[in-house]
Amino acid sequence: MIKMIKLEWKKNHIGKYVRNAFIMTGILLILLLSTIGEMKIEDSAELYNKGILCISVELFANMSYIVFASIMLASFIVSGYKNKTIYLMFSYPIKRQKILMAQMLSVWIFNVAALIITKLLAYGIFSFVSRFIDVDMRGINFSQFSFYFQIIISSIMMISICFIALLVGVKMKSSKATIVSSVILVCLTQGNIGSYTLVDNLAFNIILFILSIISVFLTIYNIDKVDI
Amino acid sequence: MSYILQTINLGKNIKGRNIISNLNIHVNKGEIYGFLGPNGAGKTSVMKMIMNYWKPTGGTIEVFGEKLTSTSYEVLRRIGSIIEFPVFYEHLSGESNLKLHCEYIGYDNQRGIENALDLLGLREASKKPVKQYSLGMKQRLGIARAVLTKPELLILDEPTNGLDPIGMKQMRDLFRMLKEELGVTIMISTHILSEIEDIADTVGIINHGQMIREISTKEISQMRSPYIEVEVLDVRKAMQTLGGFLSKDDYKIVGENMLRIYSESTTPQEISKALLLEGNEIISIGKKAEHLEDYFMHLMGEGEKND
Repeated sequence: MIKMIKLEWKKNHIGKYVRNAFIMTGILLILLLSTIGEMKIEDSAELYNKGILCISVELFANMSYIVFASIMLASFIVSGYKNKTIYLMFSYPIKRQKILMAQMLSVWIFNVAALIITKLLAYGIFSFVSRFIDVDMRGINFSQFSFYFQIIISSIMMISICFIALLVGVKMKSSKATIVSSVILVCLTQGNIGSYTLVDNLAFNIILFILSIISVFLTIYNIDKVDI
Repeated sequence: MSYILQTINLGKNIKGRNIISNLNIHVNKGEIYGFLGPNGAGKTSVMKMIMNYWKPTGGTIEVFGEKLTSTSYEVLRRIGSIIEFPVFYEHLSGESNLKLHCEYIGYDNQRGIENALDLLGLREASKKPVKQYSLGMKQRLGIARAVLTKPELLILDEPTNGLDPIGMKQMRDLFRMLKEELGVTIMISTHILSEIEDIADTVGIINHGQMIREISTKEISQMRSPYIEVEVLDVRKAMQTLGGFLSKDDYKIVGENMLRIYSESTTPQEISKALLLEGNEIISIGKKAEHLEDYFMHLMGEGEKND
């Protein structure tokens, strides 16, 4: 499986995505840094139980990488149905499920890692900046294991929901449908109506994660019995 | 007799329409099987089912003596294929595409890649991204990939599409070499007879998803009866003349000014002499044999009638 994941990266020019992820993260950090002065401590709503900075980093990093991962899934998997490279992949003596799993994992691993790095990088930079200016650092504690654990778990959950978008894209054989679905998911998971948001709703996030796993199953289920 | 590939009453129904029905194919080991039929006859559909891309809705496919099922993956290691048109990772070079193919198949042989590139005349362009290749070059790269891992069976769907006449000849020579020197069994689909006429051992003729006839080219050549073809100015007058010394079954009109004489006891010289003596004007005369093309057209006509 590891070899197949590496082959996926190789044939899809992973270097291009590394570069784009760097650019996106850079823009994200610049935007957050430029608005740091505007982030007042009192802006942080009580229900978040986090500082405004922590909320902003989570929100923008999650939003960016959900869409980024969906673009990658569309390019790695869904476009294969359109440009027929899926025919080539399915001509190999490898289980179709294994091929699709390798494709999904190659995108998932890359984006989970990138999202964790982006968040840690952002928190590191803001921690440094906080020495000079007053920044709301609530929820950011580098000495606590739970801080890292929370980043890893939330990154895994966020990137995993892209598989819901992938399922829509594969069923419709459309890259656009994959990306549009991911944008809808971003609005649903990261948006808020007044002071109400689902970002920190644990039950909602668990349901979404379960739906992501079901989507993976439905994407590969019966793939060896259907016409392509 | 055991076949390397055979279909038994193969059928495919899509949205209530039978696109393939009761199709029986028999491909012997080490032969070139020409799969012939007009566009839309069902050739690609059959090949997609052989490659397991599509699942039959009726009948069975046997490859290397084993029934093909939806989980028959290992058999694909022994098959090279081009279905519809060869697809590549266009941003990668030709050589990188071949390397990737080898890695997925589990075939480690850099020399083999170089040989395949040389064989198909692609060595110079091997480092260029495939998106810069012409249609013919892509076709040749597709064939290089199909033969690279030394498969026992090649399934090639219209493999000479986009090739110039020289390229087509090179391909025919390559297929012949693969068959004769490496014992590879090749199934080639085409709608152009001349592409396989010289190289195929067996021809399966398909139309409207049904097998019209499966026949060896040896049998066809035996069936080809020589005839004399005469082009005259006045075909009716010529008929009257010929009627004087030939029976009715020995000749027929095949065109506005064209007659064919099937009697084996006469020669073109005798015919021309008889026609000239009666004042017929001859435009051309010559001895010919029935081409596979004529046979094909004849069978297609029969198939249409049966429908």
